[in-house]
Amino acid sequence: MTVGVLPARAAAVPAGRLRRGWRRVLRRPASVVGGVIVLVFVVLAIGAPWIARSDPVKADWSQIRKAPSGAHPFGTDDLGRDNFARVVWGSRISMQAGVFSILLAIAVGVPLGLVAGYYRGALDQVIMRLTDAWLAFPFLILAIGLVTIMGPSLTNATIAIGLGATPTYIRLTRGLVLSTAAEDYVQGARALGAGDVRLMGRHILPNIFSSLLVQATVSVPIAIIAEAVLSFLGLGVQPPTPSWGTMLNAAQQFLESAPWMAWWPGLAIFSLTLSFNLAGDGLRDLLDPKDY
Amino acid sequence: MLEFLVRRVAISIVTLIVISVIVFTGVRMIPGDPARVMAGTDADAAGLEEIRAKYGLNDPIPVQYLRWAGLALQGDLGRSIRTRDPVMTTVARKLPITVELACLSVLIALAIAIPAGVLAAVRRNTVWDLLASGASLCGVSVPNFWLGIMLILFFSVRLGWLPASGFVSFWESPSGNLRRMIMPAFVLGTALAAVLMRQTRNSMIGVLGADYIRTAYSKGLAGRAVIFRHAIRNSLIPVVTILGLQAGALMSGAVVTEQIFVVPGFGRLIVEAVFTRDYPVVQGVVLITASSYVLINLLVDVSYSLLDPRIRIGGGP
Repeated sequence: MTVGVLPARAAAVPAGRLRRGWRRVLRRPASVVGGVIVLVFVVLAIGAPWIARSDPVKADWSQIRKAPSGAHPFGTDDLGRDNFARVVWGSRISMQAGVFSILLAIAVGVPLGLVAGYYRGALDQVIMRLTDAWLAFPFLILAIGLVTIMGPSLTNATIAIGLGATPTYIRLTRGLVLSTAAEDYVQGARALGAGDVRLMGRHILPNIFSSLLVQATVSVPIAIIAEAVLSFLGLGVQPPTPSWGTMLNAAQQFLESAPWMAWWPGLAIFSLTLSFNLAGDGLRDLLDPKDY
Repeated sequence: MLEFLVRRVAISIVTLIVISVIVFTGVRMIPGDPARVMAGTDADAAGLEEIRAKYGLNDPIPVQYLRWAGLALQGDLGRSIRTRDPVMTTVARKLPITVELACLSVLIALAIAIPAGVLAAVRRNTVWDLLASGASLCGVSVPNFWLGIMLILFFSVRLGWLPASGFVSFWESPSGNLRRMIMPAFVLGTALAAVLMRQTRNSMIGVLGADYIRTAYSKGLAGRAVIFRHAIRNSLIPVVTILGLQAGALMSGAVVTEQIFVVPGFGRLIVEAVFTRDYPVVQGVVLITASSYVLINLLVDVSYSLLDPRIRIGGGP
């Protein structure tokens, strides 16, 4: 028998468990609704050029701070730009920042956690002490510090948010690796001569994937809010690029005369993060590791 | 117990050293001459030389770090580029405002979270549980800066009940202070309440299933007495830990909340420092925030193990 014959994905989600999970998810309509709303935002982000016909950047001095109407369902802003178009284009920025920052956190955090948990010893101690120090910086303060060094922009805000979220993935991966590495199928593969890279890549990583995916659904809404906060503070997306955070920043000055400027971007952030959280709950049910 | 304390303190000291290295390196990663960065763009050649001499910027980097760390340990974090005040003096002036805001928000969060969490656990799988869980989910999903803007819109612009912004010292006018702090504290407390509510509910459900609760019921104690005298007290221990872990989230929340409500605290200080490129202040604030977080969690862990001697946290990270 060779190592390759071993069921490398022995504990990966089996079909019966998936079916049971789906049934549980369908019993939670809120999760389904959350998932559908997330998909709607994905469609908005991808289809922004076709869905929002008005130019989200060009000022129109004849349309300054118009209340919601048939022509402008979300009203217009202080420069006469269509709020609907800006909210739709803003979804692209939010999704981009939310997803890419967490992908960065996973790309940095998972290998470090994997190595720390697998090799343990001095390497583990060094990585974990660095992680402890990293975790001591409050998420937003760390992001602000990094943006100060790198300069304000969407890319830098995404990197700052990603690096801020990284220690969570290091800790989570390390913990998962510690428990998975002790499983019989990993020990069996090791006894049959599998090397470290193969054990980590083929046997451990696929089995901790579902927990990492669930964590990602928790992290993405936090990252979306963080991007909005950085842009709101002027440290993320720079005007005139439409972003929900910069829209709320502008809205602050016109709360009395044009309150609709504050409603829509805020509602968009709220509904997207709430939907992610609801969908994440459903995903947790679907992939519940306790259900082996 | 002693071993746990020594280990926990040692880990905290190592963490603090790593934090100081990160903060020190951070400012040196800013492109350009560090003396120019510290002195600001207006500084002349003499000013730059003074900065270089004071911070030994011509020395090797490890020597520079040790000198900087030594000064920081004595409370010298340099001077603000903008105001020329010592960073520590500026922080000492702003910190009490943020501490007051944080304390009020913790009080509001506890006042919401504990009754709601207990109710959700006691009336598990009823409409009360559903309402509390839904509110908790909304609490973690709502962006606090938008909630702040909506509160201003409603309570200040529409109803005119509360001032939209500003700050009055508590000692100057207690009622004026509370009128201005109630909205920011509520905004800051909402997310915390959501997290604490979930924790209280889960912890309470665990406690309600314990043997001693069954014993209390079997002795004939009334339901209310069991819940108030036995269950709540024991279910709240993990809440203390969560509060410690949330200290960082409170600091992050304070940054944006103080910005919206124009509260001149620690959070607003860092944003102003970033925009004016006042690097010594940014460096000082980040260092103090991260160090405080480590110390708060050290205190929480120590108090946790003192509160319940059966608990021996530790065993590595």
